Amino acid sequence: MTISDCDVVVIGSGPGGATVADVLTDAGWSVIVLEKGRNHLVDLEPPHEPLRHFANDELAMTRRHLLGPDPLLEPRTYRRSPDDGDRLLTGEVNNLPSTVGGGGVHADAKLPRFREEDFRLRSERGPIEGASVEDWPLGYDDLEPHYAAVERLFGVAGEAGANPFAAWRSSPYPMPPGDDMPMAVVSSAAAERAGLHPYRAPTGANSVPYDGRAACVDCGFCGGYGCPVHAKGDPIASLQRALRTGRAEVRPDAYATEVLLDASGRRATGVRYLDLTGYPDPPMVEVRASRAVVLAAGAFETPRLLLRNGLGGDLVGRFLTYHFQTFTVGIFPEPTGGERGRSVTHLHDDLMIDTPELRAAAREAGLPWLRGGVVEHGAGPGPIDEAATYPSGEAHLRSMADSALRRRLWVFTVQGEDLPQATNRVDLDPSVWDAWGLPAGRVTYTPHRHELAASAYAAPLHEAVMLDAGAEVAFSATSPPQDDIDLHAASSPLGVAPASRHVMGTARMGADPSTSVVSPEQRLWDVDNLLVCDSSVFVTAAGYNPTLTLSALAHRAATLLVGQHT
Amino acid sequence: MAGLFDDAERERVAQALDAQVPGASALGAVDYVERLLTALDHDPPRVWAAPGPWSGGPGGWLPLGPWERHAWAQRIDELRAVYRRVADGAPDPGDERVLHTHAIEATYADPAYGGNRGSGGWLRIEFPEPIFPPARGTP
Repeated sequence: MTISDCDVVVIGSGPGGATVADVLTDAGWSVIVLEKGRNHLVDLEPPHEPLRHFANDELAMTRRHLLGPDPLLEPRTYRRSPDDGDRLLTGEVNNLPSTVGGGGVHADAKLPRFREEDFRLRSERGPIEGASVEDWPLGYDDLEPHYAAVERLFGVAGEAGANPFAAWRSSPYPMPPGDDMPMAVVSSAAAERAGLHPYRAPTGANSVPYDGRAACVDCGFCGGYGCPVHAKGDPIASLQRALRTGRAEVRPDAYATEVLLDASGRRATGVRYLDLTGYPDPPMVEVRASRAVVLAAGAFETPRLLLRNGLGGDLVGRFLTYHFQTFTVGIFPEPTGGERGRSVTHLHDDLMIDTPELRAAAREAGLPWLRGGVVEHGAGPGPIDEAATYPSGEAHLRSMADSALRRRLWVFTVQGEDLPQATNRVDLDPSVWDAWGLPAGRVTYTPHRHELAASAYAAPLHEAVMLDAGAEVAFSATSPPQDDIDLHAASSPLGVAPASRHVMGTARMGADPSTSVVSPEQRLWDVDNLLVCDSSVFVTAAGYNPTLTLSALAHRAATLLVGQHT
Repeated sequence: MAGLFDDAERERVAQALDAQVPGASALGAVDYVERLLTALDHDPPRVWAAPGPWSGGPGGWLPLGPWERHAWAQRIDELRAVYRRVADGAPDPGDERVLHTHAIEATYADPAYGGNRGSGGWLRIEFPEPIFPPARGTP
């Protein structure tokens, strides 16, 4: 077994882990970042230039698992409830990329902040039966300096003041917004006529050259794709900075299997991992950390590792949340121009606001309140994904030529707030294993009726906006689907499991060890120097893309860790 | 690629792919399938096309890790069994899903993978050429 030493071992190289590495190396600490997946992002030798492995390649990115994980090696399982038996399906479930850079590589980099209320949901809105609605142990004001810091580190393009509902901010965005997608201007105008308040999305894609990286050229291969010119700063910017200090090492193909503890069992001393460059018997490698171990493997893999190690207590894996997605599709008579642009350039937040209309909808549903989520104005899929939804034969050719579901499509996607429930969880599947003999992660998930009621409110509202924008037809669907599961299993492009890659809440933070897994400083209650720095720690899901918030939390946790040692 | 299908088998595979997406074989769908089924005969394997000359890199194909290669070997073994049945004129009902997927990919994926000859699949649906295409090497 090979052994090496550093101050901190970080498991996971996505936005959370990369941010931690950036902060710690800047403070003079040595860091080893372990990444289970391959490296397609950045040269690990100086001067750490981008590898340029990414192209406008729908096949490699969406079909051939270039960004990992390959479901043949790393299957996951899903069921709605124990009534489905051990599992409903085995294969791809919420597969965020498993690669250097993690989920930041494939995201279209929408980076909104949460609002003040999102951290105080129980106090502001009150409890809801059947859900565990709690306040976070920190507030927006605590996090604001860290939001500002990670916006600068990643490079976020945006327009302060454009969103009337946005929380206060201490500084402007580092750069102005990029160009509008033309159809987003049309859908935004229709949204405004409906009394909504669309604005240009804060986006971690350079609108101008920034931090030595190029400006986005709106190639159109954004959401789901690695950026060919690395205009998306998250997380290559943080990883490059950390590597260039000479104090960071990134080890791809490093599958962490065990967190090492000292004799007391209350202090982490390192990590064992499988070196997946070895085949068929990957060697075990040990890294020792003198100060801390940081878990940043994402809200699916972090609880899976904790559960395998028996760490964190009975709440690990519970309170899993996604964003309950409601898609309102408009089919327009003419092309919408979605082949170019950054997938989404406009948002509106109105469904997150306490309005008389939402209060009335809540009353009708027998709920005390309703919150939807941020709404993305976006383009359709690529041609391969579109073609997969159509039948074969001559009908296929007619459908592709007509292209209702790509070229003439525009879509509102509600990233609907998903209320935490103890029964929604990630655990270890009892009889499915990965290629290395470790138990597969299993999702058990059913939405709360709050999500269904919010979706039912949003759908007709957005269908009316689509029609006003000029759509010939508008209809809505949700993920996960709520009607005939067999029908969706056979034909839905989104499948039966939640399609959302926004996975949160499986190692909740809190002020009370009896109701949380980690402290407000994101340390495991039972292992003081074992930190969780990904979206596992979210107390509630809010209705906003989670990356900026998980990165701001990671920035805060790393800053506090450094402060403790100075 | 030579030797995977004889002429008669090749014709049966072409007909099966055309039944899914008419005209797929004229765009190179059988070449696409053959390139996939023989992907691991090359080094690097022809699974992921590397970025094109615009990237300043060498182009060609991206290397697979040993475990990725293991997964693709398993996947390709299963696909070879499917295409053996199709080439023999005795497909299983379940093979249709594979044929549908490959006819689509061959028609609308980047020409680097052996199909979509002359970008004909994209031209048919007015899909614009990518700004940053993968490398389009010769087979």
